[in-house]
Amino acid sequence: MTAVSTPARTRQDSPPQQVRHRRRPVAPYLLLVPTIAILLLALGYPLAWQFWTSTQKFGLAQQFGKPPEFVGMANYVQLFTDPQTWAVVGRSIAFCLVNAAVTVIVGVLVALLMNAVGAVTRLILQIAMLLAWAMPVIATMTVWIWLFDWHRGIVNWALTSLGFDFTNHNWLEQPLSFYFVATVIVVWMSVPFVAFSVYAGLTQISEEVMEAAALDGATPRQRFFSIILPMIRPVLMIITLLQVIWDLRVFAQIKMLQDAGAPLASTDLLGTYIYRLGVGSSDFGMASALSIFVLVLTVALSFFYVLHLMKEDS
Amino acid sequence: MKKMLSAIALATASALALTGCASGTASNPSASTSATSAGPQNITMWVAGGDTPQELRDYLKTTYNTKTGGTLTIEEQSWGDLVTKLTTALPDANNTPDVVEVGNTQSPTFTNVGAFADISDMYAELGGDKLLQSFVEVGKVDGKNYTLPYYFGSRYAFYRKDVWKAAGVEVPKTLDEFNTAVKAIAEKNPKNIKDFSGFFIGGQDWRNGISWIFANGGDLAKNEGGNWTSTLSDPNSIKGLTQLQEIQKVASRAPKTAKDESPWLYINDSDKIMDGDKVSGKTSLAAATIMAPGWAHWSIGDLVKKDGKEVRAWNDDKFGVFALPGNDGKPAPVFAGGSNIGISAASKNQAGARELMKIIFSSEYQQMLGKNGLGPANSDYVSSLGDDQFAKALIESASNSKLTPAAPGWAGVEASGKLEEFFSKVADGGDVTALAAEYDALLTPMLNAK
Amino acid sequence: MSTATVTEKAVSTAPATRPATRRRFRPGRALATVVAIVVALAWVFPVYWMLNSSLLPNVVLTSTTPRFLPTGGSFDNFVAVISQGTFWPALGMSLAITLTTVVFCLLFAFLAALAISRFRFRGRASFVLAVLFIQMLPAEGLFIAQYKLMSSLNLLNSVAGVSILYIAGVVPFTVWMLRGFVAGVPIELEEAAMVDGLSRTQAFFRITFPLLAPGLVASGVYAFLQAWNEFTIALVILQKEEYRTLPLWLRGFVQASANRATDWGQVMAASTLVAVPVIIFFLIVQGRLTSGLVAGAVKG
Repeated sequence: MTAVSTPARTRQDSPPQQVRHRRRPVAPYLLLVPTIAILLLALGYPLAWQFWTSTQKFGLAQQFGKPPEFVGMANYVQLFTDPQTWAVVGRSIAFCLVNAAVTVIVGVLVALLMNAVGAVTRLILQIAMLLAWAMPVIATMTVWIWLFDWHRGIVNWALTSLGFDFTNHNWLEQPLSFYFVATVIVVWMSVPFVAFSVYAGLTQISEEVMEAAALDGATPRQRFFSIILPMIRPVLMIITLLQVIWDLRVFAQIKMLQDAGAPLASTDLLGTYIYRLGVGSSDFGMASALSIFVLVLTVALSFFYVLHLMKEDS
Repeated sequence: MKKMLSAIALATASALALTGCASGTASNPSASTSATSAGPQNITMWVAGGDTPQELRDYLKTTYNTKTGGTLTIEEQSWGDLVTKLTTALPDANNTPDVVEVGNTQSPTFTNVGAFADISDMYAELGGDKLLQSFVEVGKVDGKNYTLPYYFGSRYAFYRKDVWKAAGVEVPKTLDEFNTAVKAIAEKNPKNIKDFSGFFIGGQDWRNGISWIFANGGDLAKNEGGNWTSTLSDPNSIKGLTQLQEIQKVASRAPKTAKDESPWLYINDSDKIMDGDKVSGKTSLAAATIMAPGWAHWSIGDLVKKDGKEVRAWNDDKFGVFALPGNDGKPAPVFAGGSNIGISAASKNQAGARELMKIIFSSEYQQMLGKNGLGPANSDYVSSLGDDQFAKALIESASNSKLTPAAPGWAGVEASGKLEEFFSKVADGGDVTALAAEYDALLTPMLNAK
Repeated sequence: MSTATVTEKAVSTAPATRPATRRRFRPGRALATVVAIVVALAWVFPVYWMLNSSLLPNVVLTSTTPRFLPTGGSFDNFVAVISQGTFWPALGMSLAITLTTVVFCLLFAFLAALAISRFRFRGRASFVLAVLFIQMLPAEGLFIAQYKLMSSLNLLNSVAGVSILYIAGVVPFTVWMLRGFVAGVPIELEEAAMVDGLSRTQAFFRITFPLLAPGLVASGVYAFLQAWNEFTIALVILQKEEYRTLPLWLRGFVQASANRATDWGQVMAASTLVAVPVIIFFLIVQGRLTSGLVAGAVKG
């Protein structure tokens, strides 16, 4: 593979480290070219298209060749004056925060558990996590929907066997219990990534420090907050950010749960709402406007966090 | 911008190609080379879902090849993704399929935006007025034919003879009798099963639910001078909806969010052979009656061992079928399922596509549809469905079946989930008149959206 | 802060101290073990259930009493699924796309990571910001534009077309992940090796590359999973049946059976078949993965 030698060659041309800061080197820009090129190619045009379409009345007829009509901000105005939009935004933010929080907390707990048990138990736990992580999303959803099936789902069967009457209980009927099921699934899918990353961070904490702290009479609680937490803070920060981004745009899980039978209007989140406006109602102008809004919203929500992250980074 | 894009694309693509990973690059030479209608054309047909059996696909391919010398490629698209794919590929002349099957209710949305070629001149040749008219109607815009019926199926009732007998009710002759019968069965619950439904109909199941609107003379929408109005508040619609609500309240224990998927699970016995000796005494039987498309009969019956496998075998002593009756001596107008078929307007192979249409509407192919249990588009060949009880119930129920409105925004209405929402609120015991007014106001603008 | 020293220290101390802790009896250990086993069971159950169901005939699966062990089960469902003949082409397609994505994504991201961690240059901060924010674009509204793009480039129904979109989707996070690893390899090590007479290329392959390997594995796993599981882009770009990837194949399977009588046993067998290559891949890289995440964790 010739590609790997490229950085080596570039570095050879560039002056030693100290000088690098003074001159404006060409090398870093060359190194960025492939990444920037592929991002521009694959996302540049779609993003531009989306922005442009969001200012037009663009439906199925336009997709089939009718010239679109420029409507300026009309799509946005319609979007922002529709209470349904704000209901979906509110639900999405709530869902995203709850899921990100639960995922990170459970992930950290699982990581602590990995750290606390013997090698064999740890391996078992890690394999279980790996298997869950490796499950394809469609397979995951098929299994979970089946587990929660109202008539022959094993969850109802188990709860009923335990003495609660859950015969024919429909989990997807009420929005709250729908979101509960969705949360269980999303957390189940996301925890392995968090657990492994945090566990990796935990193994960096030297045992001597922990033992010294224990000898000094620090409670496990104190040890967690004053030693462990600061050490895994960088991992936690980036993982939390990623979970928030991913959970805010959750789509496949919600869509498949809805397809399994749930009231659409009261269970829509941003992802499925964009999908319904676009594919469903063929209102691509509105769908684009909402997409742009979601982008702005996510950037706004995470802006200070990201700045903070970058400051720590440098 | 475009120039830069293609430069980047070229660079990236060639980089990918260099590694030899870029196998199977899009190939559409056939489309461009054979644009002139003289030579044989290689064409592509999209079928929706697995309803067209392999035997029929093979027939189309062979016959097309013999007749024109060209190759026919048949690609199956799943129903759930059909709209996405039609939206992207159909306007794209270089990649559009040439002949396309669409759901009959999706047809108006695409014909109204000019996705299909005008085939009015072939209408008479392909069967003319012999073709199923309600389907022809949804493929028409301004008097011109764009899509034609491909096949139809309609829903009829499957019932448990033993349970009906135990409850002391007869097979109904009118819709009123049906309504009373299923309520009686649920109240008597002869097998004493928890949450037993006399008639299992999901709260969101509007496709079966609309039969009650239709049967009482109501409709979903009407067209006045090109403007569509939702008519759930029409007194006849309200009457039907009220009957449906009564059934939901008394006769059906289906979840309020259930749709029309797999209802046959609930009229089968199943647990008797579970875990060898440990028969739990439980049964999955949960309903005495369901409405389902005809092919459901393959999934209904007793559990038997055949070649070492456990399969369902229809049992005439236990199970029966009938077409949902109306109150006017005719069968109730049920929702007519099925597909339309048309030629993509962007296709470069119009001549080949038209040849394929002729093959599809030939008497041989129409009869092949019938033999495979799919209602043929041309009424001359309906007899090919056979004369067993399933064919009889299918023909009877289809004879008075009805389609959803041919409004341009209909696909949007379906995709929005508003109908599911409305029907589940009705099933939940809401005020029918108020709900109907609320959803009329919501649906009317959606119906007219292009 | 010097991240490099932390890594070295961590790497040297962690294995050394672990046996020492095992000597003492910890009362909490037993409880933790029990909890860990319970958690492991809870997490593995859905996976087990998929496997169990894939071995049972459909009529057993549609009953209301669950059967927890595949007694009387068989591989019939697998045979039925595979004998349809569509699995192998889909597997080939998925492998081609996933491997293309992983290779190019790692290469591109590695170069970019090198740039942002070894150089200070104008636009560096904006690049990092853009990389972070670009992931926030919701994908559900993009399908028409993506289709038009690939149609105009004549890359519909091709490995390259889908791979380009996948690489763009995965590369931002991969850059972010690799950045920490590259920063963690001290340039001095490489320079010292060159003083010892190695060429620049030799120094890179003998010194730097092995230190980066765990990072490449960790990011590679991420890219692999994303590309392997993605289906909305694939749905739009790969419209022809013969170019289906495994998720599309599985989805087709689920949907086809949703319209007819759902054969749950076969759906579960199909799901298992899609999961197996990932599990094999994980088992191969498992050791590297953990150490990769370990090393990456320090730099966050």
